[in-house]
Amino acid sequence: MARSSRRGRGKKVNSMPIVVGVLGVLVVVLAGMLFFKPKARSAEPEPFNISRYREDGSRFASTGNRYVIEGTVESIETLGDNRMVEVSVRGNRRERLPLLVQGTPPSRVNITRGDKFIFDVSCRTGRDSAGHEVKGILIVNDVKTK
Amino acid sequence: MKTLRYLTLLPFVLVTAGGQMPDSFDASGRSTQAQSGVQNDNPLRTGENPPPQMFGMELPVLDPSNDTMSYGGAKFDVGNNAVVRERFEKFLSQAPDDSEQSKLYRKKLQQILDYTERYSSNASKIGSKTLVKIGTGLYDISSYPGDGEQAGALASAIVSALDVQRNNRRRDKVNAELDSEIDKLIIKTNSLNNRNTQKNRGGGGSGDIKNPNQGSTGTSNTFLIAANSTKIAEKKAVQAANTASNQASLPVAKLNYQGLVVWLMLQRRYDHAVIGARVYRHVFRDGDTSMNLEKDSDAYKLFTGISGMPPTINTVDTMASNARREVDQSIDAVYGALAQNKLGEATNRLITAVALGEYMQSVAIFPTEHRKRIDAYWQLRKRALVTLNARDYDGVEAIAAEMKKLDVDFNDSQLIAYTSGKKRQSNFALRSARKAFEAGKDEEFRRLATEAAIIWPLNPNLDKGEEQIALVDSYAPIMDEFRRLLERRQLRTIYNERERFQVVVTDSELKKKYSEVVEFVGATDIMLASLRTGAETDRTIGPCLAYEQMVLLQKKDERYTADKMFTDALGQYAAQAHDFVQALSNGENSEKRAEYGSALSSYYRARCFFPKSTLAQEGIERVTKIIVAAKY
Repeated sequence: MARSSRRGRGKKVNSMPIVVGVLGVLVVVLAGMLFFKPKARSAEPEPFNISRYREDGSRFASTGNRYVIEGTVESIETLGDNRMVEVSVRGNRRERLPLLVQGTPPSRVNITRGDKFIFDVSCRTGRDSAGHEVKGILIVNDVKTK
Repeated sequence: MKTLRYLTLLPFVLVTAGGQMPDSFDASGRSTQAQSGVQNDNPLRTGENPPPQMFGMELPVLDPSNDTMSYGGAKFDVGNNAVVRERFEKFLSQAPDDSEQSKLYRKKLQQILDYTERYSSNASKIGSKTLVKIGTGLYDISSYPGDGEQAGALASAIVSALDVQRNNRRRDKVNAELDSEIDKLIIKTNSLNNRNTQKNRGGGGSGDIKNPNQGSTGTSNTFLIAANSTKIAEKKAVQAANTASNQASLPVAKLNYQGLVVWLMLQRRYDHAVIGARVYRHVFRDGDTSMNLEKDSDAYKLFTGISGMPPTINTVDTMASNARREVDQSIDAVYGALAQNKLGEATNRLITAVALGEYMQSVAIFPTEHRKRIDAYWQLRKRALVTLNARDYDGVEAIAAEMKKLDVDFNDSQLIAYTSGKKRQSNFALRSARKAFEAGKDEEFRRLATEAAIIWPLNPNLDKGEEQIALVDSYAPIMDEFRRLLERRQLRTIYNERERFQVVVTDSELKKKYSEVVEFVGATDIMLASLRTGAETDRTIGPCLAYEQMVLLQKKDERYTADKMFTDALGQYAAQAHDFVQALSNGENSEKRAEYGSALSSYYRARCFFPKSTLAQEGIERVTKIIVAAKY
């Protein structure tokens, strides 16, 4: 009804802006769909919020998602076959994450101190020998050289 | 020696019973005069033994070898006996009795004594001229005040004894006359009897016829015989009564006389006693001189103690004469000792002389200048005793030095040894007290200081001890305050007033705590100053370092938590190192929640702010081990 009332007021209506607008919206929607196309579960790592992790790491474990963390190795603590890697993220070197590397990563990348790497990690909750929970531990699935 | 021993106790018998010593008191403080009842009590008759009491009725015994007198099982120093001392001091303060009246008295007394030595051959005559002279002389001297009317009493006793004997003689004479009359009456009666008998034989039965009056004559003779017999009986009865009176009055007269003589002896009126004893055999000429003393009486024991024989009136004579000689010899010894400047010896001999023969002439006329010399020495001796009793050993030594000047024989070695020993003992106790004080042993210090004061109250070193005691007393409130602050952990208050609280070191326990407090707060201040410097120098790492150091200290020693300056500084550094502190805090909180990943991240972050952080490193190592060891 509204459309009809508009039509009734003028004989020649310039529909060009409307078309352009509609097209624009479509382009945006398509672009968005292309860009934000959902990844398959465990197929693509998610970006990591360090501040939130520091507050409550186990929350990341509950999702079971994998994350991609890009950073510089600041230190490595080797305990048996495992290594605890301290990584500083880009943009703020005081933001540090502890990454547990169990054994050798599939990519067989040699993790060295001072180098930048892209880590594919999962957040998990384990148990110690007494059965107590060990929450919010970032375990490296794989690592790539930057 | 034994005679002297018993002679010398006589003055004390006098002290106990003498009516002329109203200033003597027994142990209960009552006058012995009131108790002894001198004029009423017969010293020969003790009756019931009174309960033993000091200076009562018991006989004290003086031992001249050591100037001690024993009675009631106790020994007393004669020189330090109150009664003897008082009488001796009274004697020293008196002027010598050398007035004309006194000289006359003594001259007459000596004359009477001379009379007693004359032999009277007229044994049958009572009241010879000599006795009259003696009696008159005694009455004459009794008016002298110093005699105390003792001579008058003796004269009266002599007169009474003579009166009794005169009465006896009179009765004897009456009895003799009665005997004569009785004899005549008996003869006359016998004659009458014979006549009656002859008439009866010659006349037979005619007698009556020739002489009708003959019967009446015989009757008359019979009446005369009866009358004579009655008279004879009456006269014999009178004779018996006279004899009984004589027999009863003589022993009573002797008893009274002997009592007076003994009394004079006990009163140290030796001259009077000698006169009485010597006159006795002239008054009572029956030759019986034995004394009627009860065997249980003290007087009997006194007089029999010399020879063990029953006492006679001659015993009194002997004892009184010996006493007079002893007194005179003592006075001679006093003069000799004074001449040699031996005042101690002179004083002792004079005490003996005064105690033994206060009324003797040689004692009474003892010169004033000699009395003053002995009095000066006596006063020193008294002062020495008083000073010794007061434990003023310095004073005693000073007095001993003075006495040594006055008496060449005075041996002060024993006295000096005693005072030196006591002084040393006191100083030893004080030395121990000082050590106890320095060790903070307050109770032991007080005990030892008190002990030192008791041993030598005037020890000059006691003043120092007293000051220390006062100091300790003034410390008590400070010590209490110190303990209170310790309990409240206000250590900085103690530290700020550490000079005032320093006195607590006198207490061994508080001393240690005081040192700990001062060292702790002092070290804290130094540490805070150092941390402040570091924090100001490096405003990034410095506050972190300061904070962490202080937290570590706080964990080790909770005293830091109670220190406001420390906690203020800690708060200040916590603000300055906020990120570091926050990171550590987050790490600890996460660790508590088993968020070990978050905790390790926080510790890493803390280490970023302070790379040498011990707390962060410890957290990292601790959490890393847990993470690595867990199963996922």
